[in-house]
Amino acid sequence: MLKIEHLKKSYENFSLDCSLEVKRGHVTGLIGQNGAGKSTTFKAILGLISYEHGDITILGKPLAQFTAKDKQDLGVVLSDSGFSGYLTINDILPIMENLYKNFDKSFFLEQVEKFQLPCDKKIKDFSTGMKAKVKVLTAISHHAKLLILDEPTAGLDVIARDELLELLRDFMAKEEGNSILISSHISSDLESICDDLYMIHQGTIILHEDTDVLLSDYALLKVDDEAYARLDKQYLLRSKKESYGYSCLTDQKQYYAENYPQIAIEKGTIDEVITMMIRGAA
Amino acid sequence: MKGLLIKDFKLMKGQKNFFLAIVAIALAMITLSPGTSFAIGFLGFVGSLFSLSSISYDEFDNGNAFLFSLPITRKEYVLEKYTFGVLCGIAFLFLGTLISFFSILITDKGNLREMFLTACTLLPVILLLLSIMLPFVLKFGGEKGRIAILGMMGFLFVAGILLTKIAEYMKIDFYPLVKRLSQIDPRVYILFFLFLAITALAVSCLVSQSILNKKEF
Repeated sequence: MLKIEHLKKSYENFSLDCSLEVKRGHVTGLIGQNGAGKSTTFKAILGLISYEHGDITILGKPLAQFTAKDKQDLGVVLSDSGFSGYLTINDILPIMENLYKNFDKSFFLEQVEKFQLPCDKKIKDFSTGMKAKVKVLTAISHHAKLLILDEPTAGLDVIARDELLELLRDFMAKEEGNSILISSHISSDLESICDDLYMIHQGTIILHEDTDVLLSDYALLKVDDEAYARLDKQYLLRSKKESYGYSCLTDQKQYYAENYPQIAIEKGTIDEVITMMIRGAA
Repeated sequence: MKGLLIKDFKLMKGQKNFFLAIVAIALAMITLSPGTSFAIGFLGFVGSLFSLSSISYDEFDNGNAFLFSLPITRKEYVLEKYTFGVLCGIAFLFLGTLISFFSILITDKGNLREMFLTACTLLPVILLLLSIMLPFVLKFGGEKGRIAILGMMGFLFVAGILLTKIAEYMKIDFYPLVKRLSQIDPRVYILFFLFLAITALAVSCLVSQSILNKKEF
């Protein structure tokens, strides 16, 4: 559905070099700190910025050949941008009807009613949660095949985040082959919805893994200096000096559990994996 | 393009107080000096400015990034802004003409033919203004664009004065030329200026497209 190969974009204090792929029927997450390059990647995919090098293929077409008509199959949420805050939901309806040939008005209105969004109130006066819901609703209401969602859950409370993720699950269930590329710096959101995850740091992808594998095979080993010296290090991805000795990230939890039953092994959460990938030494 | 036009008209609807205020000013103008054509020019110019303010609305809160992720092209966006500007300019010019028309009918002051000629002369002027202003606002943004337009107006003003001084110095007299122009059938020069303004608008539209193609959001 989407393939990015060695996308390079340089700014004065930042350069991006990113490759990733979103497969058909998959939800792929892009996780990283603020300023890691997530939004730059999204903007490049959407043709909002130019780039120096690399290839982007979207819905089977090179980006240069991706027309406005092809964009009918895209649903987009951007973290820092949306419909003008001076418009109301009632204003957005005819705009969407005229922009998208497959706009599902009844579905949109159904969801608006479900989330109790006021139709006559200007969007700028909505709460953060309401604004986020409008953004996601506009992205999923025209039978898009691919959703490009940049931080759709940013600034939301747990309930609102859960409601949005539910909408995305429904979108995936609605039609076979639908796909999502979603970015967030809230790992639990991605953990619950993504099939695979890319971690981006300082403009570079530092890890790509299936979410299931990440949660089942990755672990943190906590060892003292003596145990660290004896540890087989071939399956360690990162190590970090701690006050008690070392914490080590591995993607072979089972191996260490079987061969070093005396050491402390903690299940790797996405946050811990990111922290270790960024702060630990290879 | 229809979706974009609807968006701009919906945004314009939000400025209805401003709209009512300018109509009130136009009515006040015509009440204070009946029979004049101030309202036509005033409303025509202000109406064409709605196109510029719609660009500012699009830019607000980085709205352009989302806008250009919708199924539209940059070319379509530019065409829409010109269409919106022309539609608003003509609509407000018509409104001004209507106000003047009723003022003449009610007060019996002024001249209907003169009023009609003023309205027809102002149309190419409005188109010309749009063709100058839109590329500036698209290039520099809503706020900086207005400053750039003022700067350019100032430059044209100074250039005009300089040209007059040079003509005086070189003893070139424009008066016979102006006199001869006034003798031409107004329909001819209105058509001529309209043709000129439409050409300028087309060139300006191409310039704006090239400006927008280079922009990053």
